[in-house]
Amino acid sequence: MLVYIVRRIFQLIPTFIGATMLAFLISQLVPGDFLTRKALEPNVRPETIERMRAQFGLDQPMAVQYVRWMRNLVQGNLGQSFVSNQPVINRIARPMRNSMYLALLSIFMLWAVAVPMGVYSAVRQYSLGDQVVSMLSYFGLAIPNFFFAQVLILLIFVTRSFTKDAFDFNQLLFPVAGMTSGNHLNMSAWGKFWDIMWHMFIPSFVVATAGMAGFTRVLRAQMVEYLGSDFIRTAKAKGLGQNTITYKHALRPAIIPFVAGIGGLLPDLVGGAGLVEVTMSWPGITPTFLEALNSQDIYIVLGLIVITTLLLMVGNLLSDLLLAVVDPRIRYN
Amino acid sequence: MADEFNRDPQETQAEDFVAEAASHVLESDAQAATIAASMGTSKSQGRIIWEQFSRHKSAIVGGWFLIFMYLTAVFAGFLAPYGLNEYRRAPTASFRPPTQVHWIDPDTGRLTRPFVYDVVESRDPITRQRVYDEDTSTKFPIKFFVRRPSQPYKILGVFKSDLRLFGVDDPARIFLWGTNNLGKDVFTRVLYGGQVSLTVGLLAVWVALLLGLLLGGIAGFYGGFVDDLIMRLVEIFAAIPGLFLLIVLASLLRDPRNPLAQAFGLQMTSSQTYILIVFVLGLVGWGGLARIIRGFILSARELDYAQAAKALGASEARVLWRHLLPSTASYVIVSLTLSIPGYILGETSLSFLGLGPSEVDTSSWGLLLRDATARGISIQFVPWLLIPGIPIFLAVLCWNLLGDGLRDAFDPRKRR
Repeated sequence: MLVYIVRRIFQLIPTFIGATMLAFLISQLVPGDFLTRKALEPNVRPETIERMRAQFGLDQPMAVQYVRWMRNLVQGNLGQSFVSNQPVINRIARPMRNSMYLALLSIFMLWAVAVPMGVYSAVRQYSLGDQVVSMLSYFGLAIPNFFFAQVLILLIFVTRSFTKDAFDFNQLLFPVAGMTSGNHLNMSAWGKFWDIMWHMFIPSFVVATAGMAGFTRVLRAQMVEYLGSDFIRTAKAKGLGQNTITYKHALRPAIIPFVAGIGGLLPDLVGGAGLVEVTMSWPGITPTFLEALNSQDIYIVLGLIVITTLLLMVGNLLSDLLLAVVDPRIRYN
Repeated sequence: MADEFNRDPQETQAEDFVAEAASHVLESDAQAATIAASMGTSKSQGRIIWEQFSRHKSAIVGGWFLIFMYLTAVFAGFLAPYGLNEYRRAPTASFRPPTQVHWIDPDTGRLTRPFVYDVVESRDPITRQRVYDEDTSTKFPIKFFVRRPSQPYKILGVFKSDLRLFGVDDPARIFLWGTNNLGKDVFTRVLYGGQVSLTVGLLAVWVALLLGLLLGGIAGFYGGFVDDLIMRLVEIFAAIPGLFLLIVLASLLRDPRNPLAQAFGLQMTSSQTYILIVFVLGLVGWGGLARIIRGFILSARELDYAQAAKALGASEARVLWRHLLPSTASYVIVSLTLSIPGYILGETSLSFLGLGPSEVDTSSWGLLLRDATARGISIQFVPWLLIPGIPIFLAVLCWNLLGDGLRDAFDPRKRR
């Protein structure tokens, strides 16, 4: 096992280097840099531009820039942001944390809803409930995240105008943008926590629905397969109750791929919410990424790509290892 | 190894012999099949698959609805009452709610041919919101098959016409799904948007298929160093989160200053942006397909029929292209169908971020949804701007249904 882990980690290295090279190559596709734009500002002297260009190493050939960037990267330094003149890590730490909050809640919602739904539709195959679940999962699969978020925002506004007329209640049920309320800074620690949770609810829900479709369908298929197998019949024959059979004998093996998939959720934890963040003005990774791309702040773009790539690879490794741990049928040698 | 181009005559002979022998077998098979069919027991493979598929009600419905959607995209010019970029400068018609179509004549109270009223725009004196009032003095009946020579269109880029399915006389206007900030008709732009949003996925899947077949096939067949190299490349592409890769590629490549665009003299017109998006989507998506095909070929090349072809002296390329790749066909068809929704969502996402085709001379469903997020817009006052999301939903849903139906039909274990 240990040998396998070590070998896998060593295998990650060339892939990681390849990915950084690819990302760097792509980032160089546009000639000019953020200084070309700065040079157009009338109050910036050409000498300043030259000095900054030398300072950031932008006057060096591409290969040299890559090697310098890579050397810093290995030492844990993601470089400097051009625009704000701060270390990249300071600029991206907060958005990453925010995206992680969102993803954690959505994963929790996903599991809390999808497991019962999958089990139900497997146990009551072809029942009305099963058909509703399967319809819902098609719905979740087909609706684009950003559109769903927009629809929910509209619904929240519509609800307000309804409650205003009916109950004289002129408040939004859920906040529709951002992460904190206006008076957030004056809140107690507990209040701050609830404030953020409150803002998180709708975007997490949207992200969760997207994953729910696949989750429920696969879980249902797995459960159906196990429920029809011999050991379930044996369990029935020796007189076990239906609940024990469903939850202890069928659900446990059926849930294995999902347990292993937790490792695969790691990149989702930081990068998953994507366009929902944009639609709901959540200060997460994707808006930061777009903004950096827009201002040609290349090292922020690269920094985000590198970190999410790293997380993706580590996550895949983790899920393989977890799979080996929870499933005794899998042996690595 | 026999050269692909100068094939050994003996090889051809041997293959001919096998082919002949095979045709005899087929003949007797065919006879057996006729006998069996006369007893009502045996059907051809294609027929079984078709029967399985036609039992899949939801897949059939999905398929028909897709045909309908693609037809509306083709005939967008005819079905839409206005031109893609038609809007009135003064008075503008920005953020008009959907025009109300009246069926009841107010004078007689009886059912009449549908008509609309002209709309007068004013501002609420307190909230400064736009208020639209119908000017009920004149009725404007909806006319069918009207000619509008000022706004000609082309169907499939070839057939010129100015015949529109319906329209109303000036100064009234008919906006079935309202208008956007510039006063362009949303209904018209949704129809035209289908031309982009529905086709980008189809084309991107071909790019991915070509790359996947070529590289996956080569990797699986030759193995060794080539295999390692290609699979590393797949891993590298898979290692970078898809959305970020998509965004970076699309946003950097569409910049006309990039060396690729300059090398090909691209100006990034809307059609060039369209092609660019197709290639970017295909480039991001080929890896999974290549991996599947490689796995398939790795297992198939050890099977008896591949070994037999090889033993008869068929060249490696022939075994690969004629014997192994066709065996992946049913699997490839299914995974292609099921990957189209992903590409459609990819295009709409990019357009939603403003990285797709530009607003000026094209339309796309994602781009139309972007209108609803523009600065200073509160969605509760312009809910009709969300309508373009519905065709995205329907297209993705139908492709999924169709794909599921095909998968079940091809899978012998799922026969009913």
